Parts: sequence; structure tokens; C-alpha cells
Amino acid sequence: MKKTNVRMQQPGMDRRTFLTALGLGGVGVSALIAAVGNLLYLKPAVDYGPPTVIRAGRPGEYKEGIKEVLEDQRVVIVRDKKGFAAISITCTHLGCTVGTSDAGFECPCHGSQYDNDGFVTGGPAPRPLDWYQVSIAPNGELEIDKSVKVPPGTFFKA
Amino acid sequence: MNDSTQNARPAPRNRLAEFGNHIYRSLFRYGRVPQDAEGQSYAVFNSLFLHIHPVKVSRHSLRFGYTLGLGVIATALFLVLTFTGIWLMFYYFPSASEAYNRMLDLRSAVDFGFVLRNVHKWGAELMVLVVILHMARVFFTGAYKPPREFNWLVGILLLLLTLGLSFTGYLLPWDQLAFWAITVGTSIAGYAPVLGPPLRRFLLGGDVVGQEALVRFYVLHVVILPGLLSIFLAVHFWRIRKDGGLSHPDDNDIPPKGGGR
Repeated sequence: MKKTNVRMQQPGMDRRTFLTALGLGGVGVSALIAAVGNLLYLKPAVDYGPPTVIRAGRPGEYKEGIKEVLEDQRVVIVRDKKGFAAISITCTHLGCTVGTSDAGFECPCHGSQYDNDGFVTGGPAPRPLDWYQVSIAPNGELEIDKSVKVPPGTFFKA
Repeated sequence: MNDSTQNARPAPRNRLAEFGNHIYRSLFRYGRVPQDAEGQSYAVFNSLFLHIHPVKVSRHSLRFGYTLGLGVIATALFLVLTFTGIWLMFYYFPSASEAYNRMLDLRSAVDFGFVLRNVHKWGAELMVLVVILHMARVFFTGAYKPPREFNWLVGILLLLLTLGLSFTGYLLPWDQLAFWAITVGTSIAGYAPVLGPPLRRFLLGGDVVGQEALVRFYVLHVVILPGLLSIFLAVHFWRIRKDGGLSHPDDNDIPPKGGGR
């Protein structure tokens, strides 16, 4: 059996290299933790924006065939034979407020066009307008939850 | 009376003059403008403010048409914008209910407020233009080539910081133009793959342009971006000196007057 010198076979990490690597590694890891901490700090934790659940008056106030625009809430209340729907009037292209037109909706910013159900008929919009969940609040008013999206064509029967 | 007592206790007036002279020499260490080349060199590179400019420059780079002074103009605009910006901060504050009114007050009620605001606004527009022209000049004169590649990269960073300052400042008047421009601008950011949507939320502090967005843009505009810009501006100037001043042909390469090579 050949005798080998175990110490000589160790790969070339001497004490100095090891300690340097350890030190730099420690600095690197702490920098990473600090960076992640700072990013997490900046991540919005509390939503101070406008409330997502809004009340929109009693169902009886809306006549059939009406498109009632709630400008501040950026939503339009639609009532037809099938019931009530709440369609977003925030353009899906770059977030401008769309206006109502004879054919449906039209965006003043870059000319996106939508039909009455919010489907794209022209312009750069990548997807249909959002439909929000409509329900009846305990006090009998229509309640729209803008955080819950429903498939286009989903009407709520009051 | 004898001379020795006078020397031991100089008259108070002389001591005051000596003290004043001492302070003067502490401030102006080289006296009047030195007349010899060595003295002039020392005076320049021992002064923080003068040493931005090299002691000796190539005759070539003194030609105004070579640089059009665009870098100096951009720097001057940055200083003007810093000064007017700090002054505007005395009246403006980033509140969704107050910001627009404060902007209107600056325009109509505050003495010289309209001057400061307009200088800040037009200076900002001009700075973006001048920085882009400066970059074009550097490109067309080949000044991005070795050994100046590093400074070209610093310059790109400075351009991005300038654009960032321009974008964040645009929201602060809090009028319709500002609101919709930032709505559209941050929506564009949101289209970036993977990082887009979180970046948009980071910028806005929420999902819509509101109070949170105003504060975030304000802090970016008055502290973070100008701070970063100042640091990299210092690096930029330092590199110009270290890379041998403005780009210029080797002196041997300059064709003789009135003839080609």
C-alpha cells in the first residue's frame, strides 16, 4: 500500500483564503438580507386606495336599458332584461377612463373601442373591460365589489 | 522709549491685522493669481472647485464647436434645478388634497413663485434635451471609445436618472395632466414581463395613482434620484480627468494648417 501524505493532498485552500471567503461571504449574505428587508419595507403592505366595495343605490332606481356611469368609482352600472352588471370603465390598455359611445365604450387616450359588453372592437386594448361582482347589500342597495371579477356576460338578477 | 519693549508687546492694532492676515492666508493659500506655470498648476489642483477643470487642456478641446458646452450646460441646469427645487419645497407639500392648491399658490400668490416654478419646469425640460444632445455629441465625436467606455456607461446611468427625475417630477403638480400621464406611464411599466406588475405597485404604493403614489414620487424626486445623480455626476467628472480630459486626436495627428495629411 502506497503511503500518501494526506496534508499535501488537500486542495489549495489555506487559512487566509478560507477566512477571506468566510468574511466576504458573511458581508455578502448580510447585504442580501438587508436588500431584501429594504425591498419588503417598500412593498405596499396596507392599501390606502379608495374602497373596493361600493354601494350604488336601490335596484329600482335603474330603468331597464340604462348605462349609468359612476365617474368617481370608474364603473358603469348596466341594467337590461338579464339583470344588473357593473362594468369597469378603466381602459385595459393604459388605464384611462373610457367614455360611453353609441357602440359601447371608447377610450379618449389611444382610441380603444369596446362594445356594450366591454369586448374589444378596435384599438390597442389587449382584453375586454372588467366585469365586477354585483350583489344586494343587507340594506337593499346594490353592492359592487371591484376586487372580485366575474366573466363578461354575468348578470345579477335583483 | 526703547525698541525692545515695543517688539515684545506689539500694538493691539497690529495684532488684529496679523490675525486677519492669518485668516486670509488660510483661505487664499496662493495669494494673488500665481504668475508662473507651476504656481498656477498648484493653485488649480489644490482647490476642490477649480480642480474639476484640468490644469492643462488640449488646444483641440478648447474649440467651442467641438463640445458646444453641452456637458457644462447640463451641469449648470442641474444646479439651477436643485436650487429652484429646494426653494419650491418651502411651499409645496405632497398631499393629495393640498398639492394642486400649493402649486396654484406658487403661481399666483407667492412673490416670485411663478419665476421659480417656471424656471424649474422649463429647466427640467431643457435638461432632458441637453443631456440627450450631450450624449449625441459624445457619440458623434467618438468620445465613448477607449479609454472612455466606463464614463460612457456612467453617462447612460446619468441619462436614466435624468429621465427618472423628469418622470417623478411630472406627477407633483397633481393636475389632470400629471394624473393621467402617470396613470399611463406606470401602466406601461406594468406591461414589462415578470417584473412589471410588482414594479408598478412599488412605484404607486397601491393599484391606483393616489396619495401613496404622490408621496413615493416626491421622495424619489427630491431625495433619492438627485442624491444618486450627484454621486454619479462626481464620478463622471472624476473620470473625465482620469481619462485625460476631453477626447482629442493625438497631437501628432492634427493635420497642419491649410493642408491634409
